[in-house]
Amino acid sequence: MQSRRWMMVAAMGLASLVALSGCKPKKTTTGLGPDGGLLNGGRTNGITDIDMPGGRPPGGALEMAGQYIPVYFEYDSAQVQSAERSKIEAVGDYLKHNSAGGVIIEGHCDERGSREYNLALGERRAMAVRAYLVSLGADGVRIQTKSFGKEKPVALGHDEESWSKNRRGEFVIFK
Amino acid sequence: MMTKTGEWRTTFLSGGGLRRGLGPRTWTAGLALLFAALSTASAQTQGMVRVRKPMGQKATLDGAAFTASAGAGAEFRRTLQEDLDRSGWFMPGAPGRSEYALVGTAGASGADVSAQVQFSQVAQQQLLLSKRYGAPSGDVRRMAHRVADDILAAMGRKGMFSARIVMVGTHSGSKELYVCDADGGNLLQITSDHSISVAPHWGPDGHLIAYTSYVRRYPDVYLINLATRGRQVIANYTGLNTGGAFSPDGQSMALILSKDGHQGLYVRAVSGGAPVRIFDAPRAALASPAWSPDGGQIVFVSDQAGTCRPQLYAITRHGGAPRRLTTSGSQNVAPNWGANGLIAYASLMGRFQVCVLDPSTLASKVISPGDGDYEDPSWAPDGRHIVCSRTVNYRSQIYLLDTLGDAPVALTTSPGDWYSPAITAR
Repeated sequence: MQSRRWMMVAAMGLASLVALSGCKPKKTTTGLGPDGGLLNGGRTNGITDIDMPGGRPPGGALEMAGQYIPVYFEYDSAQVQSAERSKIEAVGDYLKHNSAGGVIIEGHCDERGSREYNLALGERRAMAVRAYLVSLGADGVRIQTKSFGKEKPVALGHDEESWSKNRRGEFVIFK
Repeated sequence: MMTKTGEWRTTFLSGGGLRRGLGPRTWTAGLALLFAALSTASAQTQGMVRVRKPMGQKATLDGAAFTASAGAGAEFRRTLQEDLDRSGWFMPGAPGRSEYALVGTAGASGADVSAQVQFSQVAQQQLLLSKRYGAPSGDVRRMAHRVADDILAAMGRKGMFSARIVMVGTHSGSKELYVCDADGGNLLQITSDHSISVAPHWGPDGHLIAYTSYVRRYPDVYLINLATRGRQVIANYTGLNTGGAFSPDGQSMALILSKDGHQGLYVRAVSGGAPVRIFDAPRAALASPAWSPDGGQIVFVSDQAGTCRPQLYAITRHGGAPRRLTTSGSQNVAPNWGANGLIAYASLMGRFQVCVLDPSTLASKVISPGDGDYEDPSWAPDGRHIVCSRTVNYRSQIYLLDTLGDAPVALTTSPGDWYSPAITAR
C-alpha cells in the first residue's frame, strides 16, 4: 500500500487570515448548531502574529504530498531504523538537486497513549528524520517539522497492523 | 405521582459510602492523610458553619417544602436538586428529621423566572441562606447553579456548578472546541475551524481559552477571548507549539515549543513578549504543562526515562532541576494541579485511570472505577470532583468523578466523541 501517489495541495493559509468584520455577538443557546460558534470558518477578528524565527513555507506555497514513501517507526521509538534510511536519502537527493523550497516532515503516532504526549512524540519522530537529512548535508532551514500526534491516522483499525502504519513520518515537498 | 420527598431522592448516590475496595481500612497512612487533607480542604473555607462530617458522609436534606410552578419554576427546582445531589454532600432526609432544610418557591413571571430560597440547619434553628433570585427564563439553569453554589458556600463548602467546561467535540465531523456548564447543559460550539483542536485551557477568569489548533495548518497556540470573540496567535514558531496553560494569576502561560531544534518548556507573559525557556529536553518529548496553585511550580510530562514511558515531573517556574513525581506505571500523563494542592493525572494500568497524587509525599490513589479509559482529568473548583474523559469501545464522553466515592456521572450525551475537558477555576 505504498504506491506513490501525487497530490497537489494549494495552501490555504490566506483563507484563514480573512478578517471577520461583521460578526455580531450571538446569544448563548442550548443545543448544537452546525454554525452556532463564535468563530466561523476559521475567520476571527484581532489575529495578531508574532515573529516566526526560522520561518515557515509562505502562505500560497505549492505543497506536494505522497511523492516520497513515509518512514515508519517502532512502537516505543523515535529513532530512524536503518532499514528506513534509504527513504530519507531519496528526499535528501531531491533537496540537493532542487534549490527552491524544501520539505515538511509530518510526524504521526498510533492511537495508544495521551493525545498531548503523542503530539510531542510525533514531533520527536519528525525531528529525527530532519536530523538525518541534515546529516546528509541538507540545509536545516529548508526542513519544517509538523507533528500531528495521533490526530491523523491513515489506518483506522485498533491492532498492530494499523498501528504500525500510523507510526510514520510523511514528506510534503513545498515550492 | 411521586411525593416531593421522593423527588429529592437520587438515582446515583448509593448511600454515601466509599467505593468498594478503597475503604479506609485498606489505606496506608500516607493515603489516609492525603484524603484527610482533601476533606478538610473543602471544609475550612468559612467559620459560619463547621461541617464535621467524615469524608464521604452525607448530611440529610429535606427539600419537601420547596414549591415550584410548572415550566421554568420546575426546571429551576429540578436543576437545583440535581446539583445538590451531585455535590456529594447531601442525601435525602425526611421532613422533621433532617439536618438541613430547603424551603421556598420558584416560578415564572412573564419572561423571567424568580426564586425565593431559604436554607437552614434544622437542629440549630440557624438560617444559613435567605435570598431572592431572578433571571430571564432562558437562564434558569444557570440561576439554579448559582443557588446551588450559594447553598454550599453557606454551609462552608466550595461549589462547582457555576463553572464551565471547555472540551473538544467531533460532533461536526472535525475537532472543534465546545463549552458547556458544569452539569453538561448549555452546550455551545466555540470554533468552526474545520481543523484539529487540541488541549484547551481556561484562563483564571473564565473569559480566555488557550488551545492548540491546526487552523493555519501547523500546530500553533491560540488565545480566544470569549468576551470580544477575538482570537490571536500566542505561539507559531517553527515546529511544535502547544501547551498553553495559564498560571493561576492569569499573567503567564506555560508552553511546549520545539523552535530551538528540540523540545523545551517555556513560560511567557500572556500579554506578549518572548517565551523564556525553563527546561530543555534535547532527547525527550514534553507535554501537558500545568501550574501549581501558588504559581511557583509547573508539573509536566516528559519521556526522558524512555520513549513511550512518559512520567510526571515538577519544576519551579524559573527552571532548575525537575523533580520526578511518578515512579510506578509505564505511562503517567495529563497532570492537573488542583487548588487543593493535589495533582490529578492519568496512569496506564491496562487502561488509563485517573489518579490523585500528593506531590509532597508522592502517595497516589486511583479514583476512576476501571470500566473504561479515564483520561485528561481537570479538578473542579469544589476540590472534590474531577472532570475527565471516559472512553469505552473507542467512543469518548465527558464524566464527573468524585474523589470521595460517589459513582461517575456522564456530562455529555450528544453524538460524537467528547474529550480533553478543562473546567474553570470558579
